[in-house]
Amino acid sequence: MEQQKALLFGLAAAVRLLLFTAFPSLPNLLAGRVEISTPVTSFKRLQEGLFLYTHNVSPYDGGIFHQAPLLLPLFSLLPNPSYHPFATNFLYTIVDLLGANALMQVAETAQSVTPRLFKSTRKDLRWSSIAIGASFLFNPFTVATCIARPTSALTNLFIFLAMAKASQGASITFVLALSFASYLAMHPILLLPPLLLLCYDVRATKSKSAPNPLIFTAVHVFGLATALGVLLYLSALLTGSWEFLAATYGVRLLLPDLTPNVGLWWYFFTEMFDSFREFFLGVFWLHVVSYVGGLTIRLRRQPLFVAATLTGIFAVFSPYPSIADATLYLSLVPLFRHLFPLMRYTFLASSTILYTSFLGPAFYYLWIYAGSGNANFFYAITLVWSLGLSVIVGDSLYAALRDEVDVERPELRGKEVRRI
Amino acid sequence: MALLSSILALRRDARILKLPPYLSALCILVGVVWLLVLPLNEYSRNTYVSENALLPGQVHTYFTGSEHNIFRAYRHEVAALVDKPVQERSQKLGDIFRSSSLKVATQIYEYHASGRNISNQNVYAILQGPRADATEAIVLIAAWTNMAGEINHSGVALVLTLARYFKRWSLWSKDIIFLISGDSTSGPQAWVDAYHDSHSPASIEPLSIKSGALQGAVAVDYPAGPWGHRYDKLHVVYDGVNGQLPNLDLFNTAVSIASGQMGIGCTLQRMWKHDDSYQERLQTMLRGMISQGLGHASGPHSSFIPYHIDAVTLQTVGDGWHDEMSLGRTVESLFRSLNNLLEHLHQSFFFYLLMQANRFVSIGTYLPSAMLIAVNFTITSIALWVQSGRSAPVPNPASISSKSPKPDMTVAKKDGAVTLVPTSSLTIIERRLFLPLAFVGGAHFIGLLPLYIFNNTRQTLLPTAFNSTAIFTILLPLLTAFALSLFHRPTPQETTLIQCLSLLLLGMFLSALATLNFSLSFLIGIFASPLSFIRPIHPPQPNTPSTLTTTNRKAMSAVVSVLLAALNPVVVIRAATFYWGEDIVDVLVQAAEGWHVWGLWTQVVVWLVWWPAWFAGSVVVTAGLFS
Repeated sequence: MEQQKALLFGLAAAVRLLLFTAFPSLPNLLAGRVEISTPVTSFKRLQEGLFLYTHNVSPYDGGIFHQAPLLLPLFSLLPNPSYHPFATNFLYTIVDLLGANALMQVAETAQSVTPRLFKSTRKDLRWSSIAIGASFLFNPFTVATCIARPTSALTNLFIFLAMAKASQGASITFVLALSFASYLAMHPILLLPPLLLLCYDVRATKSKSAPNPLIFTAVHVFGLATALGVLLYLSALLTGSWEFLAATYGVRLLLPDLTPNVGLWWYFFTEMFDSFREFFLGVFWLHVVSYVGGLTIRLRRQPLFVAATLTGIFAVFSPYPSIADATLYLSLVPLFRHLFPLMRYTFLASSTILYTSFLGPAFYYLWIYAGSGNANFFYAITLVWSLGLSVIVGDSLYAALRDEVDVERPELRGKEVRRI
Repeated sequence: MALLSSILALRRDARILKLPPYLSALCILVGVVWLLVLPLNEYSRNTYVSENALLPGQVHTYFTGSEHNIFRAYRHEVAALVDKPVQERSQKLGDIFRSSSLKVATQIYEYHASGRNISNQNVYAILQGPRADATEAIVLIAAWTNMAGEINHSGVALVLTLARYFKRWSLWSKDIIFLISGDSTSGPQAWVDAYHDSHSPASIEPLSIKSGALQGAVAVDYPAGPWGHRYDKLHVVYDGVNGQLPNLDLFNTAVSIASGQMGIGCTLQRMWKHDDSYQERLQTMLRGMISQGLGHASGPHSSFIPYHIDAVTLQTVGDGWHDEMSLGRTVESLFRSLNNLLEHLHQSFFFYLLMQANRFVSIGTYLPSAMLIAVNFTITSIALWVQSGRSAPVPNPASISSKSPKPDMTVAKKDGAVTLVPTSSLTIIERRLFLPLAFVGGAHFIGLLPLYIFNNTRQTLLPTAFNSTAIFTILLPLLTAFALSLFHRPTPQETTLIQCLSLLLLGMFLSALATLNFSLSFLIGIFASPLSFIRPIHPPQPNTPSTLTTTNRKAMSAVVSVLLAALNPVVVIRAATFYWGEDIVDVLVQAAEGWHVWGLWTQVVVWLVWWPAWFAGSVVVTAGLFS
């Protein structure tokens, strides 16, 4: 087991470092792709912010940099990646490996198949943690993300860590990891309800008496608020003012930068009359947030599944999604191997994702470089991409509900679904 | 809801699985017929100029009279430079430009491909438009040698004369750049790369003077020697690298000026005689498609098109009564039209097939044919996926002898009727995806080998490389099928899945490619179409009656794999070069030059899309020999 793990990690690290060294122009090429680097995660923009920061100018002055301030001292420790890229490449490789490690810890706790309140009838159907780690590490989207070095790789790591710690019942590290993820990307804070439930369930299983839910929630929310408060205060100390809030979270909330990405927001907001902007910003955000409550309540007994599904919803409906968000969701899906036999559109959805991941760059090329297409070409493909992802989300939700029905009413097993 | 569930229930219908091969065949048939009807009047359209600003042929041209004497003098100057070293030639050409008080610069470039060293020098001069603010420019090119390797005497002389002539006009609202490139393909490429700062500084000199964004480029190819030659027609060459085309407005403007204003007939795609019959339209279109599909540079203009600079080459052909002055006036009128442009050419089509100088079909009309061909692979792939989820076929109860074990039966009730159904036909079995995924991934990975070899072999070793790749390609499916049968015999399901995934990828690549290079996608789709119809021939099930295919299983497999081997990419390339009387080494050298210099990616499509698909299909069939 340990040997297999070492082999897997060694191989994954070798693939990444080989790609970094054998194709020195690849990182910059991928870092410029809109599918991977968004205005709020791009490595090139981070370099810009870093330059301003090391020259004692506020990094947010240029209006280009929209990432968390604490990333700056971290990356300023590393040598300049244009001349000595190895340290940065190594850091991102390690980030991927740590993410895979956390994902494998989640897999080992079996919280995906046998949470406290629910025993799936197919609980023996699961992949080993090695296979799940490999499906993350060797996913081409993960590799491309790692090579392009967006800061969303770090966000993904902290989300994995939060899930791993929650499914181990380690409250402090869970809260810390989630606060880091939320500090970097804001939307992961929406994962708090399902992950808190997961953590509560695990703690309840481990100890003889279940902790008081109210006190448990209050303590964790307070912990998260404190951790976030400390991080924000440190950021303010570092940059000397609170203006970073508007430049980072403000940009994520209000979408001033309409650079194309694989999501659904940019095109709507380029087309929109200014008078409707606030209204539709509200509608779009409300739409994303509304899934949290509904899913957490309906699938109370499978909190990890809710958290995984929410990452899928973020990959489709958040303001600046990239394939890094998609890779987070797609690597969590194999945890629910027991649902695969119940899913109905796996081939359709995976073909859609496959087709769009080739047609997307082709249409972007036609629009931007060849000049023979236009923005509608690329947007049409991002719609199909989002459709593919949402088919997986919807189909796996169906499978999870069907799984619950099978447990509750064994006599319906294997029958066609119909409305009762 | 009821509709949805009845559609879902259709998946279980056995007839549905029989349908896809016919559907695929129908797609291919309709795709091909679609292409064949395009030349008819009902499906193609007359060309028209969309951009109002161009106003082709609306100005009087003044390039006559004494300019002719200057032209003849320059032609002799050019002829005197033919055997001179490159430096001296550039110096002299630069001096002539300077004498017309233009700013002149030179550029040295050097490329390495197939062990050859391609080096030469470009000379160019910039005319600053009297009404221009140096934000836009148009380019007039004459390559020193044309595509056939002849010295472009009159073309270069014409550019020198026009430079002197244009300088005297006060009406230019764009800068005009006169470029004498060292050769017809690498020279313009080096120049346009350096103009956009995307050259590799190690071997290509940067440009010392520049102007604004390039709006258009016209190249002149007129290789008549120092004593001149009267030509019959203008051959308008418009294919860019990788099959990208210039805006149709530029082509239309050139044709309407040449034929409408100057009375010079225009021709295209080497159709010297064209009497507008169906056959000739079709032939022109097919030649255009092959040229577009190969994606090679077809003239000095080709390198400009990837930078979104619309460009054409005007080539003089035949013996007639048109002289250099009418070509000069055509270029003058064309530049006056381009000079009128208020914005980049964008009105007209970027994707079109021309079948005569004034007849075309646009993308909306022709794209469905390539898409149908690509879709046929996807349909087959979906069918194979559904099939792979089924368990082994249930024998017909009538043909089972009473001894053989009864299959498990399930009682099914529907609408009051009760029936016994074999359990195996109701369950979906788990698909084992690891081997198929690894196999298809590996096949695409092996494709990198020939890609690397052909792009990086010295010219002298290329015949050996080609022959060994041919042998390797023919033997590899046999060896792979044999090795698989030794180490890990694929189950029928895995074989089906290999074919399914390989066709899925092929369909995906071809449909993405159809949006970039329609012709290449169509041609490869046609050559790969048998892959949709081959099926692995498995050993007979224990209690099924033996049929013709199962008894002669090995013979059938052998026949199909030989037929398939005749359609492998290497054989097709060899046959095509044989048919057109080309030397295979020349083609490979051109391709390698394309890869290193022009950014050609036709070979990527051949080796990483077509070859792996053929390989996977071939292994699937050949496996029948060893089962």
